[in-house]
Parts: sequence; C-alpha cells; structure tokens
Amino acid sequence: MKLSELGPEFKTEVMSHKEAEGLNLCFACGTCTAGCPIHEIFYEYDPRKLAKMVKLGMREEVLASPYIWYCTTCRNCEQRCPQNVKFFDILNVLKNMAAKEGYAPHSWIEQTKQIMKNGIIFSITEELKEKRRALSLPALKYNGERAKKILKLTGIDKVKDQGKA
Amino acid sequence: MKKRTGVFVCHCGINIAGTVDVKDVAKELSKYEGVVHAEDYVYMCSDPGQKLIENAIKEHKLDSVVVACCSPSLHEKTFRNVTQSAGLNPYQCEIANIREQCSWVHKDKEKATSKAKKIVKSIVQKVLRNESLEPISVPVTKRALVIGGGISGIQAALDIADGGHEVILVERSPSIGGHMIQLSETFPTLDCSQCIMTPKMVEVANHPKIKLMTYSEIQEVTGYVGNFKVKILKKPTYVDPDVCTLCDECTKVCPVVVPNEFDEGLTGRKAIYIPFPQAIPATYTLDIENCPGVLPIACGKCADVCEPNAIDFDMKPEIVEEEVGAIVVTTGYDLYSKKNMAEYGRGKYPDVLDGLQFERLLSASGPTAGEILRPSDHKVPKEVVFIQCCGSRDPELHKPYCSKICCMYTAKHALLYKEHVPDGQAYVFYIDIRSGGKNYEEFVQRAVEEEGVVYLRGKVSKVFQNNGKVTVWGVDTLTGKDIEINADMVVLAMAMEPSHQTDELAKQLKIALDKDGFLAEAHPKLRPVESVTGGLFVAGAGQAPKDIPEAVAQASGAASKVQAMFSGDVLHQEPIVAAVDEELCSGCKLCIPICPYDARVFDEEKGIVSVNEVLCEGCGSCIAACPSGAAQQKNFTDDQIYSMVNTILEGD
Repeated sequence: MKLSELGPEFKTEVMSHKEAEGLNLCFACGTCTAGCPIHEIFYEYDPRKLAKMVKLGMREEVLASPYIWYCTTCRNCEQRCPQNVKFFDILNVLKNMAAKEGYAPHSWIEQTKQIMKNGIIFSITEELKEKRRALSLPALKYNGERAKKILKLTGIDKVKDQGKA
Repeated sequence: MKKRTGVFVCHCGINIAGTVDVKDVAKELSKYEGVVHAEDYVYMCSDPGQKLIENAIKEHKLDSVVVACCSPSLHEKTFRNVTQSAGLNPYQCEIANIREQCSWVHKDKEKATSKAKKIVKSIVQKVLRNESLEPISVPVTKRALVIGGGISGIQAALDIADGGHEVILVERSPSIGGHMIQLSETFPTLDCSQCIMTPKMVEVANHPKIKLMTYSEIQEVTGYVGNFKVKILKKPTYVDPDVCTLCDECTKVCPVVVPNEFDEGLTGRKAIYIPFPQAIPATYTLDIENCPGVLPIACGKCADVCEPNAIDFDMKPEIVEEEVGAIVVTTGYDLYSKKNMAEYGRGKYPDVLDGLQFERLLSASGPTAGEILRPSDHKVPKEVVFIQCCGSRDPELHKPYCSKICCMYTAKHALLYKEHVPDGQAYVFYIDIRSGGKNYEEFVQRAVEEEGVVYLRGKVSKVFQNNGKVTVWGVDTLTGKDIEINADMVVLAMAMEPSHQTDELAKQLKIALDKDGFLAEAHPKLRPVESVTGGLFVAGAGQAPKDIPEAVAQASGAASKVQAMFSGDVLHQEPIVAAVDEELCSGCKLCIPICPYDARVFDEEKGIVSVNEVLCEGCGSCIAACPSGAAQQKNFTDDQIYSMVNTILEGD
C-alpha cells in the first residue's frame, strides 16, 4: 500500500462532515470493536480497523467494503469510546459516500424499492394472502405513498444499483 | 561465648505464619542451647513488637538477640536499634530470614517449619560467636566533585553549591550544557531549550562556590568515602580565556574544516572554534588533533590575526589535584550510532537523520536557522517519516531496553515539523506509545489530533534511496497492510546508550555498571541516586535513559544526599569488615590484587598484610582467597560459618 499516493484527501473529505470531525481523536484502543455485537458474529466487521483505514486514506477499500453496511446502529461504540469519537455518525458519512459512488449493496437497494412500493420491507406474497384468508383475517392494505414521499426527500430514490457492490 | 540469647519469631501477619508454624519454632528454640527466652508475635517490627524485645532483654538479662523475620535488608537496622536502646551492643542482634528464604518460597507447612527452625538455630550459633563492634568513624572533606556538565551535573553542582559547599564541576568537552543545549524545544511545554538552559549555565559560571573545569578529564581517583583524592587532567585549549575578546577573527583564517559536534555533523567547524555562541566558558578552543601544527611555521594563521594575543601555542596540559568528600557522576548518554542500522542505510543516506540531528535542523541556532531543509538538496521535505525504537527494544540485534524518551521527542519532532511545514505530512512508525509523565499523553494526542500526524503501528523493514526520495517499507498492524512511503526525509529515534568512555571512567572510580553499561544504583527503588561504593552518587541519563525533568530530579536527589553527608564532621561506617590475624598471615599478598576496593595494604616492616577498614566494604573476597585463614570477616568468621553450616545439616 503506497501511502504517499493515497494522501490525506479521503480523511479530510470524511472529516469535512461535521459529525465525523472527531475521527482524528481515535487512538485505536479497540473499545468500539470489543463492545460491538456485530463483531461478535462477523469477525471481519471491525470499527477500529475501519476508522484506521479512513485515517490512512484507503478510499476504494473502505467505500467498496461490504462491512460498512453491517452496523445495526446500536451505538455501543460511541457510548463507550474514551475519546468521544462518533463512529456511528462516521459510518453514516461513509455509507452516504459509498451510495453516491455506486457501492450500495444490491439487497439494500431492493429493500428501499420495496418500502417505496408497499411501505414495508417485506413483500406481500400470494402465499401470505392465502394464509390470512384461511384464518379469516382481514386483507393487508399497505400503501407506500407516504413512505415514498419521505424517502424522496432524502434522495434515496436516486441511488442507482451500479452493480459495484 | 555467650549463653543468654533471646529468640523472637515474627508472624508477619500470614506472610510467615501462613506457611511456618511460628509457635512451634518458638517452642523448640526455647529449649535450644544458649537460648534462655523465645516467643512469637504477630508483627515484631511494630511498636509493641519492638517494646516486647526491649522488655525481654531487660527481664531475662539477655546478652544477644535473634529475630526470626524478613530479610535483614529490611529490618536489621530496626532491631539493632532496639537492642542498642536496651543497653546491648547492636551487633549482638542478628536476623534469621524465615520469610524470603523460607515461608515465601515453600508450600508444605511441615517442611517449611522444620527449615525455619534450622535457619533460626544456625543464626543462634552465629550470634553466640558474635563480637561487639563499634562503627568506624571517618572524617569528611566537605567539597564535592561533579563529573559531567550536562543538565544533571549542572543541577547537582548548583544545588550542592547553594547548600554552601564547594563544588568542582568537571566537563570533558570545551563547554558545559551537554545534550540539552543542542535541543530546539523541550516536551511537553515546548520551552526553548537554550532559553531555559543558558541561565543555569551562566549561574554555574558565576557561582562563587563552583570551580568549573571544562576540557578536562578525570585521570585518577584514590581514597574513600569522605576522603577522595582526584587527579584531573586539564587539556590545553591554547587560548587564554581572560584575554580572548570573542572577535571570531581566528576562525575566519583557520584553513581546517572538521565535522561540527554541536550540529551533529550537519555543518563543519574550524580547528579553532567556540562550540556555540552561548558556550560556558565563553572562549575559543584550539583542537590540537585537527590543527595542522601549533608551530607558527606550519600554520599559525590564527595567532597572526589575534589582536589581543590570546593564542598561546606553548600552553601545556596540567594535572590538577583536588580533595573531595563526595563524587556525583553524571556522565549522560550518547545516541546509538545510525551505522548500526543496516536496514536503514547504516548512516550513509544524507536525508536519513537521527533525533539529535533533527533537533539541530529545528533549532533557531542550527545550520538552517530553524528552517526545515533536507541535507541533500536543501529543499523543504513534504513527507517525513519518523521511526521509533531504532536500536531500542531489540535484544537480538541491538539494545534490549526501552530508551524511554523517544516516543515523546518523536511526537515533538512531528508536531514541530508540522508547525514549520503546515502542508507537509508526518508519519510515525511505533511499536507502542509510552507517554507516561505529566501532560505527556495529552502532548502526543495533540500531535495526532491537531497536527494530523499519521501514526502507524509497526516496525520499518527497510529504508532506501530511490530517485531523490527515501523510500520506507513497513507495516501497519492495525489494518494489517504493508506500507510504502516515498518520503523526502526520515528521522530515526536512535536508542540512548551510556556516553562513550563511561566504562573507562567507571574503572577509575570503581563504580559499578549495569549489564547495559549504565551507572548502577545501589538499589533500584530505595537507593536510586547512590552507587554501591560509598561516597559516589549517580544522576541523569548515565544511570538509565531518562528525560529532562527526571534527570533534574535525580540530580537534586543526589545533591541532597551529598549535603546530608556533609552535615556532620564525621561519617559512621559499618564495622563488618575484614581483619587479619597477624600470627597466621604469611605475607603472600594473594589478597591484595583480589580486593576490589584497594583496602589491603602490605606492611613492609612486619611483612604482613593489614586492612584499611575505611576502604573495606566487607565483600569477603580476601577471606576466600587467603590460604592460611589469616583473613577473617568480623562476625562472619570461618568458625561462625562452619557452625551455621553444621547446624543446617544436622539430622539430615
């Protein structure tokens, strides 16, 4: 990895977002990783390592990484951080950057489409409808219109699946 | 031989009583030969414990005491004082160590108890044969010698002199100031080093109680604590400091250029030179080894241009003899040479500097007047890599120890570099960051947070020159990535080692060195400024790698020890020394070269050897060497040792 070529630009770009300003405070103690429930299951998901990768300017590797999408948003990491680094917020900055550059995972885009269509993340399948009928339950009536309105305000509808992820 | 011994067995809480049946030990000892009283108590060193011994001595008319407790290095003094206040000679009290040598190292209670009994019995056997001894009194010369004129030596000299005692401060180089005067700023406050150092140097120069001898070396030290005789070689500077006006005309005409030590070789100096503008003493020195010849026919240009005629080619080396009572050794450190680092270019690459060279680059008085320009092409380096632990923490190839100050000065270097070159990038390779010290951790974080210094956790495998760049190959273990940086300059935080010639001086002084060649202290925790040899004190980086605040504190500590020594007119020394049985000594002189303290003297008239009790440290080497048994250690005679050994082996 040629550090002279990577340069500090990526770190500066991430830190230009107010919520990610604290990245420089990280001294890589690993408290975030130690308390992360995802890391317990997926060893590869490592907040400490991701923070260090951003600091070293590893732009492509970070944005293309599937792991930045693994976070369950429990915020244990920032509750416990001795340096008050908002890793959850930094991760959001990274996800936004990744999405803009076409690294949003296929499954994530499919889920977004589903919400905009039906207002919920799951599909209302024929099988489900049949089950409800057999139990004499009323038919589900979901309307994605309101969700669509909100999601459009966030610009999420413009995220294209570029097949990069 | 005495017959009224008292035995006192200490529980030390459960430290001893947990493993040794102390009551059983006391019970058995009460029936032992020569013992008229034995008892146990939970903490014998406590005030009631001491009273118990004192009362028992009086009540049972004891003539000797054995306390079975911890190591004599801890409470021997306590119990000897108790014995003395009860009216006995303190050397009639002995310690049986049943803690460190028994309860702490065993688990089986029965066996440990049996061993404890044997230990106590053997000490009873010893004390039965003990002589009553009186401490040896030695007069004390209330003048001190301080060797080394760095910050530690300066501090020690000033403190002793301020206490009202004369001090001779000897420095090898032409000026005092040591390494500290070379530094740019000092962590963590970034005080300018020269600004805080020069007032102290001036104070030394002007102090009525300090005799400053620069360009001088210790040639011989004889004598002993309180009474040393020192021969100091004062090398000729060939310049009369009282006449020299510091006009600098001489250096302009001097044709010789050699590497400048003060600038760590980054610049040259002439053969006649002043080390740096604020040098103390403020005078020039003619470096005779590099001068083409002091004969005017060979060169003599400097003398020609010297208007006040300060240059005296006939100046001769001088031996100055001084008598002192105490010596403070502050010989300081040198950097481990870059030449030892094969993978980092062995010092051959011009843009790979060591820490002190980078200090000179940063310094306003340095070769670039404080601008950061790399040596090869005088361009501003835009990417600088700092490598920590160069030669430190590497027991296989280099030094096993941590040099302690490199984490801090590297953070300082990186921070100051960013202040000088705001658009530059600083990288630091480290193994661990050790920033223990007041405001130190905050200082390192400041470099990271405010100056964006990139810390990479790992060692550098290789540094090499590459198209005008210095390429660094390393690893960042936190991301698990191999790292390559095409840097403009590399700074190596080289290990600290004892200053060159420390070993030679140590032989003169008979002061012990540790396994790494640093000056050895008498006890790592409780006697950190004394050496094992009486009257010799240590301070500063010559004792172990340390930073300025610690060096100053240790120097003040040594100075206060010296002043305590000078507070009375006589010193009292332990009388546990060697003695010679004149009837048995054949005058074979075997013991003389064996004595490490030169304490054994051959008496030509009697044809036998005698002991200088003041010099003798009671090490016992001569006793082991003596073929006739004439040499005996007081209260450690062969008779005593054999009776102890027999007691230990009894019944086995």
